[in-house]
Amino acid sequence: MRRTNAPTRRAILAGLTGYLVGSAGPRAQDRGAAVGAGFDDEDIDPQLIAAAGQFALAHVLTGDADVDAVARAGLHGLSMQLAARTTVEPGPVLGIDLDHDDIAPLSVLYWPVGDAQAPPSARAYLMLDRWLRNGGLLVVDTRDADVAGLLPQSAQGGPASRLLAPLDIPPLAPVPADHVLRRSYYLLDSFPGRYDAGTVWVEAAPENTGHPLGGARNDGVTPVIIGGNSWAEAWAVDESGLPLHALGVGFEAGHQRELAYRFGINLVMLALTGNYKSDQVHVQAILDRLGQQEAAP
Amino acid sequence: MSIGFAPLVPIPLIWAMVVIAVIVAGFALWRGLAGWALRGLALAVLAFGLAGPEWLRADRRALDDIVIILDDRSASQELGERKAQTDAALTHLEGRINAMPGMALRRVTLGDDPDGTRLAHALNRAIAAEPEARLAGIVLLSDGQIHDGDALPDTVPAPLHLLLSGEPDDWDRRLVIEEAPGYGLIGEAVEIILRVEDQGVVPPEVAGQAGLQVNIDGGAEGHVTIPTGVSFRLPVTPRHGGANVVSLRLDPPGGQPPQLTPRNDAAALTIMGVRDRLQVLLVSGEPHAGLRSWRNLLKSDASVDLIHFTILRPPEKFDGVPADELSLIAFPVDELFTRRIDDFDLIIFDRYRVRGILPPVYFDNIRRYVEQGGAVLVSSGPEAVGIEGLSMTPLGAILPARPTGGLIEEAFRPELSALGKRHPVTASLPGAGSDGAEPRWGPWLRLIEAEVRPGGQVVLEGLGKPLLILDRVGEGRVAQLMSDQVWLWGHDLAGGGPQRELLRRIAHWAMGEPELEEEALEIAIVAGDAGTMLHINRHTLADGVGPARITAPDGTAVEVTLTPDRPGLFTGQAPAPEDGLYRVEQDGLSRLVAVGPAAPREFEETVASPDLLAPLVEASGGGILHLADGLPELRRIRGGAAHGRGVAGPWLGLVERGAETVTGMRAQPLLPAAGWLIVLAALMLGAWLIEGRGRIWPAYRR
Repeated sequence: MRRTNAPTRRAILAGLTGYLVGSAGPRAQDRGAAVGAGFDDEDIDPQLIAAAGQFALAHVLTGDADVDAVARAGLHGLSMQLAARTTVEPGPVLGIDLDHDDIAPLSVLYWPVGDAQAPPSARAYLMLDRWLRNGGLLVVDTRDADVAGLLPQSAQGGPASRLLAPLDIPPLAPVPADHVLRRSYYLLDSFPGRYDAGTVWVEAAPENTGHPLGGARNDGVTPVIIGGNSWAEAWAVDESGLPLHALGVGFEAGHQRELAYRFGINLVMLALTGNYKSDQVHVQAILDRLGQQEAAP
Repeated sequence: MSIGFAPLVPIPLIWAMVVIAVIVAGFALWRGLAGWALRGLALAVLAFGLAGPEWLRADRRALDDIVIILDDRSASQELGERKAQTDAALTHLEGRINAMPGMALRRVTLGDDPDGTRLAHALNRAIAAEPEARLAGIVLLSDGQIHDGDALPDTVPAPLHLLLSGEPDDWDRRLVIEEAPGYGLIGEAVEIILRVEDQGVVPPEVAGQAGLQVNIDGGAEGHVTIPTGVSFRLPVTPRHGGANVVSLRLDPPGGQPPQLTPRNDAAALTIMGVRDRLQVLLVSGEPHAGLRSWRNLLKSDASVDLIHFTILRPPEKFDGVPADELSLIAFPVDELFTRRIDDFDLIIFDRYRVRGILPPVYFDNIRRYVEQGGAVLVSSGPEAVGIEGLSMTPLGAILPARPTGGLIEEAFRPELSALGKRHPVTASLPGAGSDGAEPRWGPWLRLIEAEVRPGGQVVLEGLGKPLLILDRVGEGRVAQLMSDQVWLWGHDLAGGGPQRELLRRIAHWAMGEPELEEEALEIAIVAGDAGTMLHINRHTLADGVGPARITAPDGTAVEVTLTPDRPGLFTGQAPAPEDGLYRVEQDGLSRLVAVGPAAPREFEETVASPDLLAPLVEASGGGILHLADGLPELRRIRGGAAHGRGVAGPWLGLVERGAETVTGMRAQPLLPAAGWLIVLAALMLGAWLIEGRGRIWPAYRR
């Protein structure tokens, strides 16, 4: 996605102009203009086709080369673990330039925020908002859980709040004990990355429902996960598949990396299956409602 | 004749004169005046004469008696020979009444009313319009079946005679719906409670039982034989959502003579089919970006119970994590695909890859499920081109498209095929460009090349290749989407597209929603300025349709040409002038609609009966006669019985009322003024003679 060619950019820009206009009529016309009467192969970025065709992990390019490299290595490591353990077999990791790339085909986007990054353009925020509304999952990593104890314990402080402020993000709350993120593949008590100290935030459950994911939008699946455990560093591997970063020493270190991968896998499963594992809880009831009493396996 | 006064001077003056006369006469008596009586009398005559007494005489004329004839010309009076009977009776009565001196005839004709025969109202109005004192009698010509019996008066001021039309051996069979449910769960029987009622003299060869044809939505006829006169519970099962029209028609009973009318032998009921919650099984081969589109669609639908299974970990991968740290459960294949499969309304395979999890026997079972009326939707991804695709399983035999092995990964815009522009699943999808506008759907980026089996309906195409294929297998339905990227529409890639609407329509078509049927005949009843019209909508995939044949309640049929409205829809309309059941038939499709009540009130009860009017007739002293027994004579009566039987036949009495009217008044003075003078003078002279010396009256001599 880095090498977006000129026609695509024009098309995307024209489409985004439509988002800015806001009303349905002109937007539809702009879409028509952006898409044109047909599609030539050059019009659509081949990487976009690949990203749409095969699930791929993607991270936001922050402009900080070190952070971007770690993010890429981390998502690569997580992709390998996914492929080894689950039916999800992601393609090559994508780096996303929010100002220029279309994120519509993505399901999950990892955003390691830092002080150095300049805020993306207003168009990028509109695109992100739209993508979140359509079911995207944005994972924001403030990478500061090691020092967060010295700072206010809130995701609303620091660079993350500066960068995320323009987004239409719902009220957040620490991950509840029964949240689907804790059981979308593995059963998890904590969500460690390179650090295992920070609070992880998800969309707050609406007060009026007892269910942690009672929101109507996108079946109540949280659109954002915000934490500071620097997960990419824990996931990162080099070309030969060896970890790039040390996590403490001895058995504990290996276990923390395993838990970090488990969190990463849960994260991806949450992005792809939503609250499927909350369903599963109800399957028994549903099967019973079908009129049969035998227990499901 | 009477006497009136026209005083020449004011009355008090006259009274004063009377007083003076009495005093003077009294004084004269006291003083012994011989002529006191004559003098007093003279004064009295003077006072009386001044009071102006006169004869008053009225001029009088006898009035005609009035007879009201009320003839019922409602629709039930058209049955059999009733009209001729009524006409003959009317002519006869009119002739007789016109021949009677001193008789006036008032005719009131009663027509049809939406509420039936409103005879009581007409009777009340007719009586109120005539003077009571002249009413000699009222004659009703009717079948006695009136619908406003509550409005009948307790009695009427003259004999009321009822001449009943109809034959003594009239009989009729009718269908009475006692109870019909308005709603019913799809697939679960509801009960219609009905009764077959025989009225009149039923020929013994047909009495006792009746044949009933039952038909739902113009489909195949069912037939039951039910006993007459008792409530019968008829189970009916709504097969689809929306209006299920149940038409019930009694077999023509035969018998001699035939029943009066078949118009009360049928009924059309509408039962709204409502679904219990739909059971949808979604089986995903792997988590992928489009999976949540399915979930969002199905979980936001309040009428769907979603049972979703995704293969999160294939059998060959194992990471050594203990089971109690995993949130995975085994795929309950036996539970789902053997024991409970028939409970599902729809099974969706989303990028399902055969991983050895489902043995072939289960796919056989799914095929049997479809052939017996189930629905399967397959959304294929890249796995479909390999040996793990569903087309390689026993299920492949019923899938309408078979992948050729080609996998196209490039941007393309899904387009409606020529068939798709007519097919209700895809026609009028927003943004399709089918209405002449520029298509504005976003692109999809992957297409599985496939060849379509005969019978498969390609409704969406990409790059000219089949993209969405619909087919029917046995009693079930199969839909196959040759791409897994409909979710790109939901993510608004380059504008996106109607993802939810498309998926919803595919799913609902698969489950047999009537509004998405390819071949459908819909009738709407529209009341307009030009009267009630039947609007005929014929949805079809064909290029043209033949005319629709409309059979009216009275059996007459007309043909209506259907004209193209938009692709896949032909429309037409026809007037529906009368209430009742209309049958619309077109190319083997048939629909029954009820305009107004299926049996107009006039035809609910048709056998002539005096029961409703008998109390009133009796109270008024009138008689009830059957026209079939012959025409009655009319007699003038002064009192006593108002009907009876004479030598020639029955007679009906008309009371002689003898009413008169005063046309003028004449006044004649009792005596002319000179007469009064002579009387006065004579009295005075008499008094004078008695009192004077002439002594005419010796007795008065002194």
